[in-house]
Amino acid sequence: MDCSHLSVVLDLSPAHWQICAQHPQSPLDLSDFLSQLLAFLNAHIALKHENSLAVFAAFPGKRSIVPTLRPYACSHPVSHSVMLYSSTDPPGDHPPQVDPNSYPPFKLLDSAVLSRIHDELDDSEEPSALVGALTKALCYINRLSLGQNTDPRILILSVSPDLSTSYIPIMNSIFSAQKLKITVDACQIFGPDTVFLQQAAHLTGGAYLYLERREALLQYLIMAFLPSPSIRKVLAVPTQDKIDFRAACFCHKNIVDIGYVCSVCLSIFCQPLPVCSTCRTKFPIKTIMRLRSSLPPSDLASAAPSPPTMPLQTRPSQNGTQNGSKH
Amino acid sequence: MPSAQNTDTDNDGKQHVQHIIIPFLQSQSQNTLTRLYQRPSSCLSIFRLLSPLERQLVMNLLWLESAISANTMHAWVTREGRKLYDEALVTLSRLHILLTATGKLALNPTFKAGFRQAITGGGSTGSFGIPAEQSDKHPGIDIEGLDAYALERWETILHFMVSSGTGQQPTRPSSGVLFLLQRSGLMSGSQNMAPQITSAGFQFLLQPPHDQLWDLLLQYLRLTEERAMDLVEVLGFIFMLATMELGREYSIENLGVHQKAMLEDLRDYGLIWQRRPSSKRFSPTRLSTTLTSSSPPLPTSSGTNSGPQEGFIILETNYRVYAYTDNPLQTAVLNLFVTLKYRFPNLVVGSITRDSVKKALMNGISADQIISYLVTHAHPQMRKNNPLLPVTVQDQIRLWELERNRLKSREGYLYTNFASQADYEFVLNYAKELDIVLWESPAKRCFFGSIEGHANIKGFIERRTMGAGP
Repeated sequence: MDCSHLSVVLDLSPAHWQICAQHPQSPLDLSDFLSQLLAFLNAHIALKHENSLAVFAAFPGKRSIVPTLRPYACSHPVSHSVMLYSSTDPPGDHPPQVDPNSYPPFKLLDSAVLSRIHDELDDSEEPSALVGALTKALCYINRLSLGQNTDPRILILSVSPDLSTSYIPIMNSIFSAQKLKITVDACQIFGPDTVFLQQAAHLTGGAYLYLERREALLQYLIMAFLPSPSIRKVLAVPTQDKIDFRAACFCHKNIVDIGYVCSVCLSIFCQPLPVCSTCRTKFPIKTIMRLRSSLPPSDLASAAPSPPTMPLQTRPSQNGTQNGSKH
Repeated sequence: MPSAQNTDTDNDGKQHVQHIIIPFLQSQSQNTLTRLYQRPSSCLSIFRLLSPLERQLVMNLLWLESAISANTMHAWVTREGRKLYDEALVTLSRLHILLTATGKLALNPTFKAGFRQAITGGGSTGSFGIPAEQSDKHPGIDIEGLDAYALERWETILHFMVSSGTGQQPTRPSSGVLFLLQRSGLMSGSQNMAPQITSAGFQFLLQPPHDQLWDLLLQYLRLTEERAMDLVEVLGFIFMLATMELGREYSIENLGVHQKAMLEDLRDYGLIWQRRPSSKRFSPTRLSTTLTSSSPPLPTSSGTNSGPQEGFIILETNYRVYAYTDNPLQTAVLNLFVTLKYRFPNLVVGSITRDSVKKALMNGISADQIISYLVTHAHPQMRKNNPLLPVTVQDQIRLWELERNRLKSREGYLYTNFASQADYEFVLNYAKELDIVLWESPAKRCFFGSIEGHANIKGFIERRTMGAGP
């Protein structure tokens, strides 16, 4: 009835953790992070007997050791995400020996998370599959919350900067989370603020936190992210005062300050295009000219090389008054 | 409009009902509690029984090394949460979890160490139970077996209570259980008389299984002093059971003397299972491993072999009750406030009537208890209705309860035999000015005044007769 579910999404990109561990002011290496994280996860389980927990990890590409038939498979590592632990279907193959000094569920959780990370982690430069892990967390909650009120939430612990190619999938995840009434919390442990996670937290009513003092990670996690949404009404949890609402354009995946939005399908572009690349709507040449002339000079230079190509294929326009409207 | 559905306690953190063990713990000495907090398993179990805000406050303080000023902590809550926050601080400091010396707040160092150990593991207290060595000679019991055992034990107790005085001869629970039931006032009777269920006992029967269990355990704890048992060991053992793993066998090696003595009692309540009374190992049942969880129904709340897990009662607007159960205990409990009509292999049909509810009320059961029992055990099909129970039936049950309260007794004096109508009215007016008239009858020339005003009236009449006399 009044239990709460927490799905934690970990960003385990070795490259970024390496930089984080060497940070001059407040370094935090992965093993330190994991021990503080496990204390936080145990605290969530400790809060209530019925609380459920799932841990997902986003890994960068892993080179397959087993040679495959396709010769190029090894040279293109694919980033992947893995469910490390879930309290509903615990690993049943080899239950750990019970230790008289620790609570069995904690023991199970800690060993499962650590051993899976150990198995999966591999050195790679690829960006990690944060979206994949987030999507898995959403699917898991969807399966879990069929017909029961679990007050679900997702906590994203990220170390990588925004990956602008993942803008659309992240936005889609946010919309699914809104629909499922999931609160998304985000904590950026290292690196620059991420625009997308700020938006995710803001749009789902969660909290976004930029970790300034990394050695106090556990205290931050407990005070900001441990209380369930229902108790947050009573507690003064840290909230964002300013949110970066900028979006990424669909054409070059850049985060843009001023974008051009297709009036039919609402796709965002960083420069005026004669034809929408998503829905193939043609815009009147006059509008394009007007928008081009109002571009700032620097943007004009970058926009000039792309010639206004008009594709030959003609589609009946659905709407008589199509304008590239300025965002 | 009265509604029995506003029972969601935890959700907004406002209506959290304090667990019944908390006041008991608060009444213990600081020394006792500090000894208890040396066990990580006890820290974890007690922590889980706190309210949501209290739990969060403890967590916030757990990893801080130094004390924090009260003002800083005050800033953690919003304006609306102030009242809850103050209550939480009072509870925590009464439990000696929070030390509030000199305007600074910090966790009790013993509790902090114990709870940290519970969260991170480690240490050498062994407070989560020493698992027994797996041996082929004595294979353990599986979870179904444990559930069946706990169910059988628990229902024996309840069934004995519900059918006492009805002429049936149900299985008698052990003498230890009987003693506990009598001491707790749930049943009355002495050694030579058959025990009779009391009105408290009837109320007990309608509670959710979880509350029943804690009720009994609390009585058990109260008895420990008389039996010269160490309260810390007893509490520690109960809290240890609450953190154990279902379906695993534990060794009794490291248990204290008093804890070993408890094994027999706990076996009688169905909290633990042992192959033989002399066995060197025991398994906790679901009754004990769910002690610190707030609401999940015990396996005992369902029928023994058929019927849905959660609810079985369907109540219609025409006061008819259909109970899909073959469990004699559930039937007997229903019989407390329902007139049963038919019994089928998996179904009992009856109706709620004025007489049946009156009988229940006479036994000391309140209308709210009947309604909450019906809500707790409502069939999943019923749960689609909003409100869950038909409003007419709910209201009628409450009205029947009000019927019993039609008479109100007040102590007072009847003033009568006034000499004349004028006399009567004169005194009556005076009494009305004092607002002490409860009833008056001008035709009979008498009125009834409350006891508080008697001295005034008496003095008034005496002064009048004195003045008129000479």
